[in-house]
Amino acid sequence: MKRRFFLNFCFIGIAVIGIAVIGRAEVPSGDWILKQVDENIGSDNKIAVTQMIIHGRRGSRAIKSKSWIQGIDKSFTEYLAPPREQGTKMLKLGDQLWMYTPSTDRTIKISGHMLRQSVMGSDLSYEDMMEDPQLHKIYDAEVIAEETYLDRPCWILELTSSEIEVAYYTRKVWVDRERFVILREERYARGGKLLKTTEVKETVRIQNRWVPKKIVFKDVLKSGKGTEFLMESIEFNANIPSYIFSKAALRK
Amino acid sequence: MIKFLFKGLVRDRSRSLFPVLTVMFGVMLTVWLYSWIKGAENTFIESSAKFSTGHVKIMSRAYAENASQIPNDLALIGIEELLKNLKKKDFPEFIWTPRIRFAGLIDVPDEYGETMAQGPVAGLAVDLFSPRSPEKEIINLEKSIIRGRLPEKPGEILISDEFAQKLNLEPGETATLISSTMYGSMAVKNFYVAGTVRFGIAAMDRGTIVADISDIQNALDMEDAAGEILGFFKDFMYRNKKADEIKAAFNLRYSDEEDEFSPVMDTLYNQNGLADILAMTEVFSGVVVGIFIVAMSIVLWNAGLMGNIRRYGEIGVRLAMGEDKGHIYRSIIAESLIIGCIGSFLGTALGLAISYYLQVKGINVGSLMKDASFMFGEVMRAKITPVSFIIGFFPGILATLLGASISGIGIYKRKTSQLIRELEA
Amino acid sequence: MIIPKLALRNLLGAGLRTWLNVVVLSFSFVAIIWTQGLYKGMGDQAVHSMIDVEYGGGQYWHEKYDPYDPLSIQDAHGIVPAPLKKMIDNGQATPVLITQGVIYPSGRFQSVLLKGIDPSQTIISLPSGFLDFEGEELPALIGSRMAKSTGLKVGDTVTLRWRDAFGTFDAMDILIVQVMSTTVQSVDEGQLWIPLKKMQELTRMEDETTLIIVSKDAVNPPADVRGWEFKSLDVLLKNIRELVEVKTAGASIMYVILLLLAMLGIFDTQVLSIFRRRKEIGTLMAMGLTRARIIGLFTLEGAMHSVLAAIVAAVYGIPLLIYFAKEGWAMPQAIDSYGFAIGEKLFPTYSAGLVIGTTLLVLLVTTIVSFLPTRKIAKLKPTDALRGKLS
Repeated sequence: MKRRFFLNFCFIGIAVIGIAVIGRAEVPSGDWILKQVDENIGSDNKIAVTQMIIHGRRGSRAIKSKSWIQGIDKSFTEYLAPPREQGTKMLKLGDQLWMYTPSTDRTIKISGHMLRQSVMGSDLSYEDMMEDPQLHKIYDAEVIAEETYLDRPCWILELTSSEIEVAYYTRKVWVDRERFVILREERYARGGKLLKTTEVKETVRIQNRWVPKKIVFKDVLKSGKGTEFLMESIEFNANIPSYIFSKAALRK
Repeated sequence: MIKFLFKGLVRDRSRSLFPVLTVMFGVMLTVWLYSWIKGAENTFIESSAKFSTGHVKIMSRAYAENASQIPNDLALIGIEELLKNLKKKDFPEFIWTPRIRFAGLIDVPDEYGETMAQGPVAGLAVDLFSPRSPEKEIINLEKSIIRGRLPEKPGEILISDEFAQKLNLEPGETATLISSTMYGSMAVKNFYVAGTVRFGIAAMDRGTIVADISDIQNALDMEDAAGEILGFFKDFMYRNKKADEIKAAFNLRYSDEEDEFSPVMDTLYNQNGLADILAMTEVFSGVVVGIFIVAMSIVLWNAGLMGNIRRYGEIGVRLAMGEDKGHIYRSIIAESLIIGCIGSFLGTALGLAISYYLQVKGINVGSLMKDASFMFGEVMRAKITPVSFIIGFFPGILATLLGASISGIGIYKRKTSQLIRELEA
Repeated sequence: MIIPKLALRNLLGAGLRTWLNVVVLSFSFVAIIWTQGLYKGMGDQAVHSMIDVEYGGGQYWHEKYDPYDPLSIQDAHGIVPAPLKKMIDNGQATPVLITQGVIYPSGRFQSVLLKGIDPSQTIISLPSGFLDFEGEELPALIGSRMAKSTGLKVGDTVTLRWRDAFGTFDAMDILIVQVMSTTVQSVDEGQLWIPLKKMQELTRMEDETTLIIVSKDAVNPPADVRGWEFKSLDVLLKNIRELVEVKTAGASIMYVILLLLAMLGIFDTQVLSIFRRRKEIGTLMAMGLTRARIIGLFTLEGAMHSVLAAIVAAVYGIPLLIYFAKEGWAMPQAIDSYGFAIGEKLFPTYSAGLVIGTTLLVLLVTTIVSFLPTRKIAKLKPTDALRGKLS
């Protein structure tokens, strides 16, 4: 999810440029909008520090991490706090995910059943995090309505999977009509039942780009307040040495 | 008088040794059977008590509600303090021990530290290393070791043998436990496999590890926390009334209905419908013990009868010499009382000795079957209870007395005129 | 012929003493047969109901199916192979599809095994007929333990989420149409039964199944089907049979103690008889009976206790045992959580083998114990015996 999160906010700045071109009167096709959204993602190196706040029955916990992201395929995350998680690292290369914990000095590939576990007790699974961020490749989109969300004019897109092996058969996304950023998302089961929601609560402008400052992710079937993401800092066009995206870097 | 009788008994073996042996044997069998049945009564609930319910169990209210899911996120926090209070202040008459049950994956690394094999695992964390830990006695690990040895220091675990074979894991190798912490983060910890065990329950043998609780607290971020605290009577015999009292006292003092994380205690009786099972085994054992005591009384009564028939001649002589019938009768009763007491005493002692041996060693009924060695359910044990001390003693004395007094009545029927003829014979 | 007659007369002549021994011995008889019957009944009933409700006449398992490995269940399904398809069409087998799901009773998630079964099947006595349900919701059948642990009852709806064959999430509200009370824990705890066709559709596993239960009456099910393994009843019931064996073995120590007690009485009686009847022995010897025959007479007297005991035991034991076999013994509900699928009542089963075996055992033991003290006779000189001396 962390992944999606970055992808969600990173394209914003770029998107702004294209906005003026699109006339308001004419609604573009859903697929075109989705493609714009996807194109705004990635294609960039970023270093971000985020906090994930997990609300449990026993109170809340904040987990702080720093991530190095290159495009849509590569990311490396190191956990900074709390002390227990400090030093735990994760590497994503394409569709593979490894985790390293300093206490065991072991690199464990997260696969199969483990992908369905929640990330650090949040409402997200590793699988959610691993999902291909380029929605237009796996979904057909259609604009079904227009709405104002967070004081922003949005298109509501209905996404129906075009591939057979996807986790969520349909989704609904609220796309900012000017910034091409997803401000809200609902994920549905094949039978049409709402499973998970993502809501952007706050956006800020950093380095001339619009960035979601706070996102709440929720598994709707479960009771609870969901999981919050807070963006603490982000650096675009960062210089990331390529060795970071290797298994050897996990042990460093 | 008693001294005189006693001398007579000691000097005449047929008068003393044989009846005493009979009483002793009968009483011994009664004590043995009683203790055995009391032990057997426990076997139905024993594995439950030892592995999951305890005699009483403390959980957080929220954990208790979903206990079948093992929700460690709802575990009890602050158990050090609680345990200290339980042990020192509140209920020192109980043995208290914390447990954590958990689930996860066992991951076996290859030489490069990368995953070679993996399998789902259920875990039980108990206090293995504290010098005063009762757990070695409670879960009989030593006996169930198949390969390797018991864990001796932190970081060592036992793993079910079948599972180890499936993963190609040998004692002495390292395995990584992947689970989730109390707060939901991924927990990863390396363990040294000290040995493999067999539990005798298919579901457990397919994938279980036993680890020390401090290791698991550490791994699952559960410092000073535990899913459950089990309490046991010191003699490991469950007594429901007492357990109920303790439950009431504990819940009054510690439990708060408003706070879902406050601890709450329940008894073995109330968990998993064990109450009904206990009641049933009690009826069954009551019937068997009842039958047996009646049978033993009859045997000893019979022995008393026969003991006096044997002394027909002697009584004749004594009558002929002018001894009072009542005096003879009383002396016979007194003798039988001495025999009954000595026999019952020796029998009880011997019965207790056998029972104690069987309580400590048990009989491995599993070994009666091919390729079976189980951790529980197979070793049947006797159980000495306070009743074991008297169950044979009083019936032993009474039955001997009864036999002597009934057969002794014959003395009054004897006619002096017949005595000479009897003596001639 | 004279000796048995004489033995019987001597025995009956001893009156009360004989009858006391006989009564004790008869207790052993009845108690052994009764408890063994209970254990046998327990085993039989458990096996019977497991065959009835779960195993049928054996099962074919998909090669990847391992009931103890929840992680592998997701992959353990396949198209029903032709020979088995034929059996299903002929009503000799029924398929069950298994996959994992999650339900959300009161907001907390709980993993379940989702099992699809044909509502009209008659191969096992699971009440699948309740799943023949017309309505919007997906009907589900659960066991009483599952109902208790989830707090669900008939008429409740609960959200079920699962992933289909391609990993896509699906979720639906299901309606609990029936809570079945079953003694077989392994079709109850953590399980949700739904109609097979609907499940195949929802999981996109058309015509696929995880295991196939064969009918009890099926003759010669094919032994080898590619990709499917036949699990015979011997394999499926191995655990429960072992458990019963252990319990039965544990009870046997009780019989040993009981028999020892009865033998104590017999031994005592024998020793006394020989002591008291020295003159009689001497007389018999003088009359020309060999020592062996006299030993035989005394041994027979002792052994006859067991014959009388058998008769006495029959007098009160048979009505008692019949009463138990008819009325059964009410069992607590929780007993089946120990793997014994017994039901509300336990009916002991007494086999002819059990009765005959017990009788022979008691007879043999009594004879041996009766014989032991008689060896003294062999050393007896007739002259001493006549004078009442016992060397």
